[in-house]
Parts: sequence; C-alpha cells; structure tokens
Amino acid sequence: MRTDAAAQLKRSNNWRRAKKLIGYAIVYAFMVCLACVFMLPIFWMASTSLKLPQDIFAWPPEWLPSTPQWDNYAEAFSKYPLARYMLNSAILVVANIIGALFSVPIIAYGFARFDFPFKNALFLLMLSTMMVPGHIKLIPLFWLYSRLDMIDTYWPLILPAYFGNPFFIFLMTQFIRTIPRELDDAARIDGAGAWGILYRVIIPLSRPALTVIVVFTFLWVWNDFLEPIIFLRDWDSYPISVGLAFFQGRYSVEWHLFMGATLVSIIPILVVYFFAQRHLIGGLASIGIKG
Amino acid sequence: MKHLIGRRALVLVSLLLLLLGSVGGAGAQDPVTITWWTLASAESPEPAIRAVVEAFEAEHPNIKVDVTIMAESAYGDLMNTTIGAGEGAPDIAYFWETPWLPHTLDITDRLEADPDLSRDDYFEEYFNNWAVYNGRVVGLPFTVGANFVMYNKDVFDEAGVDYPTADWTPWEYIEIATALTDPDKRRWGGDRPRGPFRAIWRNIGATKPYSDDSATVEGYINGPDAVAAYTWLWDLVDSGATPTPADIEVLGTEGTGPVDLFIAGRLGMATLNNGHMITAANAGVNFGVVPEPHVPDNERFVHAWALRASIWAGTEHPDEAYEFLSFWAGPEGQRINMEIGALMPSLPAVLEDYPDAEADYFQGFMGVLNATQTAEWRATHPCWRGAVIRAVSDAWDLIMLGEIERDEVQATLDAMVEPGQAALDECVPRLGG
Repeated sequence: MRTDAAAQLKRSNNWRRAKKLIGYAIVYAFMVCLACVFMLPIFWMASTSLKLPQDIFAWPPEWLPSTPQWDNYAEAFSKYPLARYMLNSAILVVANIIGALFSVPIIAYGFARFDFPFKNALFLLMLSTMMVPGHIKLIPLFWLYSRLDMIDTYWPLILPAYFGNPFFIFLMTQFIRTIPRELDDAARIDGAGAWGILYRVIIPLSRPALTVIVVFTFLWVWNDFLEPIIFLRDWDSYPISVGLAFFQGRYSVEWHLFMGATLVSIIPILVVYFFAQRHLIGGLASIGIKG
Repeated sequence: MKHLIGRRALVLVSLLLLLLGSVGGAGAQDPVTITWWTLASAESPEPAIRAVVEAFEAEHPNIKVDVTIMAESAYGDLMNTTIGAGEGAPDIAYFWETPWLPHTLDITDRLEADPDLSRDDYFEEYFNNWAVYNGRVVGLPFTVGANFVMYNKDVFDEAGVDYPTADWTPWEYIEIATALTDPDKRRWGGDRPRGPFRAIWRNIGATKPYSDDSATVEGYINGPDAVAAYTWLWDLVDSGATPTPADIEVLGTEGTGPVDLFIAGRLGMATLNNGHMITAANAGVNFGVVPEPHVPDNERFVHAWALRASIWAGTEHPDEAYEFLSFWAGPEGQRINMEIGALMPSLPAVLEDYPDAEADYFQGFMGVLNATQTAEWRATHPCWRGAVIRAVSDAWDLIMLGEIERDEVQATLDAMVEPGQAALDECVPRLGG
C-alpha cells in the first residue's frame, strides 16, 4: 500500500517534472525563434556586406554568398575615414557620459530631497521641455553657438550634457525618491552634509539608474546624426553616424559597403549592451516599478 | 645741431612709420577665405573636391577655400538651419531647393563681364532652366542629370526580344515589358513612371496640367491627352509587367529609380538616370540606353536637372566667391571632377572628353541632353509641384493601386477638376505662376 503510494507520488513527481521540462522547452523554442527573427536584419546586413552589388537583390536570394567579398570591408574603410569617425564618436560618447553623470544626479537630488519655492512648477517646466521637438530648437541653438563661436567644434555636442537631460533627471529623481530618507538621516547624524549624502549614500545606491543613463547616453550620442551635421564642418571631425551617410549617394546606395561599415559600427553598441544588460534591465525595472 | 638731430629723427620716424604702413598695407592683402559646402558622391568624390580647391588656390593665391564636405542626407537640414538663422550659410553651395533661391546672389552682371566664361558654354536647356530664376542668373549649372530608359541586354537576349530604339512608343513599351516579364524568376519587364506630367505624359501630348496663365485646370487635367496618358498608365499597371510601388519600396532604392532591381537583373527596363548609369556600368551590367518613349510627331521631352551652384546673397566676399564659383562650376572644376570622379559636366566641350564617351550607353545618354526639358514649364509654375499635384493625386493613386476600371479614367479625372482648381486658385497668389 505504502509502496503503491510512493510509486504514485514518484510518477506524479516525474510527470510534474516532465511538464515543467516541456514548458521550458516550449518557452525556449519560442524565444529562440523570436531571437532568430530579431537577428535576421543583422544576419542580412552581414550577408549583404559580403556580396557583389548585383547579387544583393537577386532572386532567389542568396543567404550566404558563395564567394564572400571580404574586400568590401577594406573598400568601405579606405573610401571614408571610418576608423577616425568611430574614434570621434567614442570621444563624444565619453564626454557626454561624464557630463550626464556629473549633472543629472545633482539636479535630480535637488528635486528629490529638497523643498524650495516653485519646485513642482520647475519640475513640470523641465519635463515640458521633453515635449518640444528637437528640430524646433535647431535654429536658435545654431544662432546661439554661432554667437559663442563654437560652430565646427565639439562643444555644441558636449556642453548640453553638463546641464542635465530632462528625461534622465526625471528617471533619477524618481529613483532617488525610492531610497529611504532614513539613510540620509543616518548619514547626517554621522556628520555628512548634503554633498556627503549625495556622494556617499545616494550615488552608490543609484547604480541601476546611473547604468541606464550611461547606456542610453551611449546609444543616443553614438547614433546622433542631426546635431553633428548641423554643428560640425571639418571632414575629419564627423562621428560615425555621419560617416555612414556618405554611402547613401544622390542616386543610389552602396549597399554592400554601407552594410559592412554599419556592421562594424554597431559592434561597440553590442559590446556595451552585452556587459550592461543586467544592470540596465534591473535599473529600468526598479525605476518602472517603484517610480 | 640739436634742431638738425631732431629733424633727422623726425625724418627717420616718418620713414619708419611709412615702412610700417606699407607692411600694414601688405597685411590688408592677406588671403580672403571663402566657405564652400559640397557633397561627396560617386560623381564628385572627396579627392576630386580637394583637387578643385588645390587647383583653384594655386591659380588664386589671394583666395583660400574653406571646404565642408557633407553627406547628401545632411545637406538640406544644414542649409535650412543656416538660411533660417540668417547667418552661417556658406559663400558657395548648391541651392537646389526653390525656397533657397531668394537667398542667392544675382550674378548676371558678373557672368556677362566674365571674359573666360559665358552662358553659351553650357547646354542651353540646362542653363536656362537651372541657372536662371525670375530673369536673373542665380548660379551655374553643375553637372547634367536626365532620365532615360536603361535596358538590360542580357534579359532581352534571353527573352528573344529586340532592343528598343529611340522611335519607340509608350504602347510598345508595354508590349516589350510584357514580353520580358517572367514571374518564375520574379522578373518584371519594366517599371512605372514616378509621377504624372513628366516626360512620357508630355510625349503622349499631355504637356501641362493647367493653362499657361494658371487660370484653369479644366480641359488640361482632364483633357483628351491627359486621359490618353492616364489610360496608358492604366494599361501598364494592368499588364502586370511592372513591380508595384510597394515592391519597389521593399526591394530597392525607390527614391530616384529602382536601380538595385535593375542591377540584379530583375527589371528588364527601368527609367533611370546618369548616376544610375555609372552604378550599373561599375557593376558590370550589360545595358543600353534609349530616350523615354514618345508619340511620333509629338515633341520629345526629357525629365532633366542640374545641380544649381550658387553664391549666398549674404556673402561678405562676392568677388572672390564668384571667382571660385566660375572655377568650380566652369570648365576647369567640372573637368577635374570628371577625371577624378565620374561627373558628367554641363559644358558640352568638356563632356565630349568623358572617359566612356564612345560607349553605346553614353551615346544614348547624349541623345537626350538636348531634348526639351519638362522643367521648362514647371520652373515657371511652382504651383504644380507646390499644391496642384497633391490635390489631384487621387487619380494617380487609384490607377496605381488598380482600384478603377479602364473606362472610369475619364470620370476619375473629371472629379479631380474641382480640387485641382481650388488648389490652383489658392496657390497662384502665394507662389505665383
């Protein structure tokens, strides 16, 4: 009797385990399919980068070129100074990240922890600037930077980061509000002032939000096309986003070179995302849930 | 004695000041720097642009050129921003958008006084349609562009179809396209026009969508020639010998013509341009060139354009800017671009030295350059592109989507008269015409 019960329990456990495994298999199969769908554009990009122009739109499509044209990469990089452009983008990214990490926590800390006249109105005013389309600001900004003699320098592309970004300030403010004020009080009892609390308590606890700022700044600056074309003039100072546009001519696109150059240009983004994804997802989740 | 020393000292000081003054005068003749914005392209690549600057500066040591080379997709935004801001625009650039034209410098007198360059040096149609605005010369036509039909000889040979000749008609175009179409190979025989009242419309006889005095669309937008042209389009769509706009959007570069599908051998014929011609030649495609089909006895039109190289009206150095403009868009500059890049110059005397001038396809291209340009009428009627074309686009769309029957073409165009007339009446006071 007891043996039967044990056997039944075992069968039940096995069945439960099998059901769990089948469930996992279905989920994983679905996710693999989904990943393939998402990977398809990158695969097509890689495949196109190795083709001859006449094979790119041929029918039936050749998924893997029979004779890979590795020279396409060399041609793309010799035709335009893409390595230099990638370095320029890296410089802009680093300068912007430093600027964002410097300015955003300070401003957000002020909104999250201090009371001052018109605080809510100022916060709303800051948020409202997010609603203004970027194109509208171009002519006044151009006029301003022209007066400051900053056209054809990196300053117009870097300086704004040192004065805060409304989206990041909003995110960071919401995140700081989730940090218990008791920690501030404890630090204050230990003798910390406002700056000490910010740098010793708030910032160390805000790593998820700061990661979001770093990754998003990286993506936005790396991919920014409009502002560099407005403010830069020197052939050697363009970022990679502008460099890639040279493959799109007046009448046609050099798809094979364009795809090769684009593939190389997205590698830094993939690397950053790969290393930051855990913090990024955690950061977004914590801001989204608790904010 | 003291007086003598004093006088000598005075003379010495005066001489010294004079010398310094003359040095200062020399300083005033320091090179003038002018700014030039241009685009890097297959026709005019970066090395050719640098070579133009180098050659110009060698000839004009008193003028320095500060060149900015940018991508095609960046150019419009930057021009709009700087022209809108009223500052920061370059001394010399392409002013290809109509709203930019009022911001160009009138160079009529300078060109007339120029001993080395004359409007007669350029293809007449290109100069008149692309360098002249409201009777004043606002720039120089840089390079020539034109639409024509490129046909893939290998596809024709495989289908056993004779190559088209310059005297073909629009209806022969449909017949040939149908004969070349092979659904199993996902191959279409031809492509569709990219808008009404371009070359084929005019070659059929529908020369304008409204009256020359911009008073009425009645009898033009729905006149017998327009009905014939739209019916021809209906027949072309119905033949199934062309990719749909969606096919072209998905499969290739839709913007200026389906060159990607043509190069891939999936279009037997396509209405393309000389930029595409170079691309196809570089890709090793075996192709020929013929003018767009037309109706015998009708005047032959070509859809053509040039890049308008102009001086910004706000320049502080108009003389130096003109010196450079006439060099860059004159014989020397265009020749440099032709030899280093693949530019097709707007000066016949230079174009005849084009490296591939003897090739069949190039001869075909030369054949369209002197045809009457569709731009001739359009340039003086900005309302066609500015307003009327949008108001009457339903007729085009319905035919392209196969939504109406052949015998409904006339009624569909009749229905366009009211919105077309309203758009014209609203636009003429605003844009002129």
